[in-house]
Amino acid sequence: MASLIDGAAGTKKNYLTAIKEAIAEEMARNPHMIAMGEDIGILGGAFGVTDGLQARFGPERVIDMPISEGAIVGTACGMALNGKTVMVEMQFIDFISCGFDQIVNMTATYHYRTAGEVNIPMVIRGPAGGYGGGALYHSQMNEAWFANSPGLKIVCPSTPSDAKGLMISALRDPNPVLFYEIKELYRKREIEEELNAGDDAIVPLGKARIAREGADVTLVTYGQNVWHCLEAADNLAKEGYSAEVIDIRTLVPLDEETIIASLQKTNRLVVVNEAPMTCGFAGEILARMTTKAFRYLDAPPARVTRLDTPVPWVKPLELHVLPSVEKITETALQTIRF
Amino acid sequence: MATKTNKNSNEQSRPRDLLTPQQMREMLTQLYLARYFDVRLIKEKKRGRLRGTLYSSHNQEAILVGSLFGLKGTDWISPIHRDMPAFFLKDMNAGWRNPDRIGMTIEEVCAQVWGKAGSPGRARDNWSHIGSKSKRIIHSTSMLAGTIPAAAGVVYADRLDGGDAVVLTFNGEGSTAQGIFHEAINFAAVHKLPVITIIENNQWAYGTPTHLEYSLEDFARRADGYGIPGLIADGQDVLDVYDKVMMAVEHARAGNGPSIVECKTFRAYGHGDHDDDRAAKYRPKDEVEEGRSRDPIAVMKRQLVALGHMTKEEAEQHLAENKGAGEVTDIDFPEEVVAYLNEGVQYAIKSPLPEAEEGGMWVFKEVE
Ligand SMILES: Cc1ncc(C[n+]2csc(CCOP(=O)(O)OP(=O)(O)O)c2C)c(N)n1
Ligand SMILES: [Mg+2]
Repeated sequence: MASLIDGAAGTKKNYLTAIKEAIAEEMARNPHMIAMGEDIGILGGAFGVTDGLQARFGPERVIDMPISEGAIVGTACGMALNGKTVMVEMQFIDFISCGFDQIVNMTATYHYRTAGEVNIPMVIRGPAGGYGGGALYHSQMNEAWFANSPGLKIVCPSTPSDAKGLMISALRDPNPVLFYEIKELYRKREIEEELNAGDDAIVPLGKARIAREGADVTLVTYGQNVWHCLEAADNLAKEGYSAEVIDIRTLVPLDEETIIASLQKTNRLVVVNEAPMTCGFAGEILARMTTKAFRYLDAPPARVTRLDTPVPWVKPLELHVLPSVEKITETALQTIRF
Repeated sequence: MATKTNKNSNEQSRPRDLLTPQQMREMLTQLYLARYFDVRLIKEKKRGRLRGTLYSSHNQEAILVGSLFGLKGTDWISPIHRDMPAFFLKDMNAGWRNPDRIGMTIEEVCAQVWGKAGSPGRARDNWSHIGSKSKRIIHSTSMLAGTIPAAAGVVYADRLDGGDAVVLTFNGEGSTAQGIFHEAINFAAVHKLPVITIIENNQWAYGTPTHLEYSLEDFARRADGYGIPGLIADGQDVLDVYDKVMMAVEHARAGNGPSIVECKTFRAYGHGDHDDDRAAKYRPKDEVEEGRSRDPIAVMKRQLVALGHMTKEEAEQHLAENKGAGEVTDIDFPEEVVAYLNEGVQYAIKSPLPEAEEGGMWVFKEVE
């Protein structure tokens, strides 16, 4: 059995280990927590996030489910209705569509339609995102479907410490939370960090992080694009401009204050998001900022998103449709030089 | 592996009895072809020439060959991730290189695997996610069991147009837990549609064994709930698969509706090539040895020799059976098989990458 927590304190850990630690720590802390998903027990998960979890907590709390996303979410909802906290793994976040009804109609609305009698503590998490050659059904960022379904919180971390801290918060939240894990970051060496344990690791939901301070333009983003924006900020620095990069971390609820405060300083906004443009979350941020921060803006706010296409398989095609450091840099320059 | 005799399979008139010795030998050649395709791709992948996940059909080839062998060109199929050889095996009996054959060419299939523009889907989606309307192969997504409703729709439309096509859908046993599996077969049963659902029961769904996927001894009994026949085939025996599938096909063509054919087999390797190392840990060694002990190539050879359709010397000319992908070499396969695949691979290597701009195309068809 692989150890649940890789490495000793003081060592740097990757994004995947961070999530693994959060889940294991919460299962140890909360005897009413259950984990369920496809191949999460015997195998330890397709990516190994739940490696060792079943051996430690037993097959009744760590359940290998049939390939039935609808039944997974729906039974998790019932367990939560009856006092449990449930972590649901989607093997890939793309497959969440097969459980759509149980999420948006059964689970998301429960608190609302019972006038607050019922709340559903559930985290639905899974590997998401493109840039890895996963093609149409292993590359999606489909968070906008759920942002448009009231009752669901949505989280997407970009660093190991945020992944751990936000996962703990999500697992302690009384509401259903969708947790988008960026699979291309799971084992990325360059972003490894030391992690705190237990409550010291907590990162609250609904609070953005300023990933880099700057004065000339604000780049607002989340997930893998945070790293693209940081690279774009390096490019902009070479051109003599300083970019502020905001990682929103939580889409619902959105920390508008942090973005507005940044715009007061930079007066320019570019939102970056790898989901398709139309009705994507980038559009939501643009809409809110054009209404709430209009007077601070000196240039039309812009967005860099995926084209309105699926994610194709072969590399040149995939890179063509997704946001890139170049596209971000170029758009930021246009906004600055408006 | 236990094989239950189906009530309408009477020993005197099995579909196989109408096969000529030549056709039975062709079945063996096709088993070699499916196997060689698989081991060749494993080798190419190990050499770093391919991207994406390889879901091996090693040890399960009799299901593909046996179920496709008796189809007409006008019939439809719906293969999934583990069924890459099905794309070129379809309508193979019309001649491997016949341009009018209603199945994919080896060139097209290889270009797809290599991610090149010569792929029928121009490499927009990976590996088994291809198809062809004109070749009557339904294009799958990743969503397991997701194409069965489309299969039902295709033959419903065909029947309206006066056709007699059947459709074979291929599914792993684990995928049957999807709600859409039930929804589609229920509809097909209500309308007596010629939908034949082949279950490739290889005992594992990724890292999960069958007893955690469904609670039946024989999955085929699920058919009782729909009021349709459920047949069981020995998935290592191409002739048994042929018999059972052809019985289902005849039943369907006669207007009697769908069937489920459960083919019992065993997954030789990991779920995909990325899973080989872990699979070696989560699957007991003796279970794997037992599951791989009846190589479909060896099983077919024994029958051909027993029937007098092949001499022992001929049977021993090529020895691909009971060998792993790393153990076989080209001399273990008939020359025509190796040559055929070489053509496909050469074509794929020469085929260009699609242009980057294609990523933005074909979201909508232009309105004329
Ligand atoms: C809706 C959906 N959920 C999960 C997956 C991930 N997945 C791909 S193959 C597989 C196992 C399939 O097992 P089985 O149906 O038995 O087919 P086999 O791979 O054994 O041939 C899983 C869980 C998926 N592709 N689609
Ligand atoms: Mg299986």
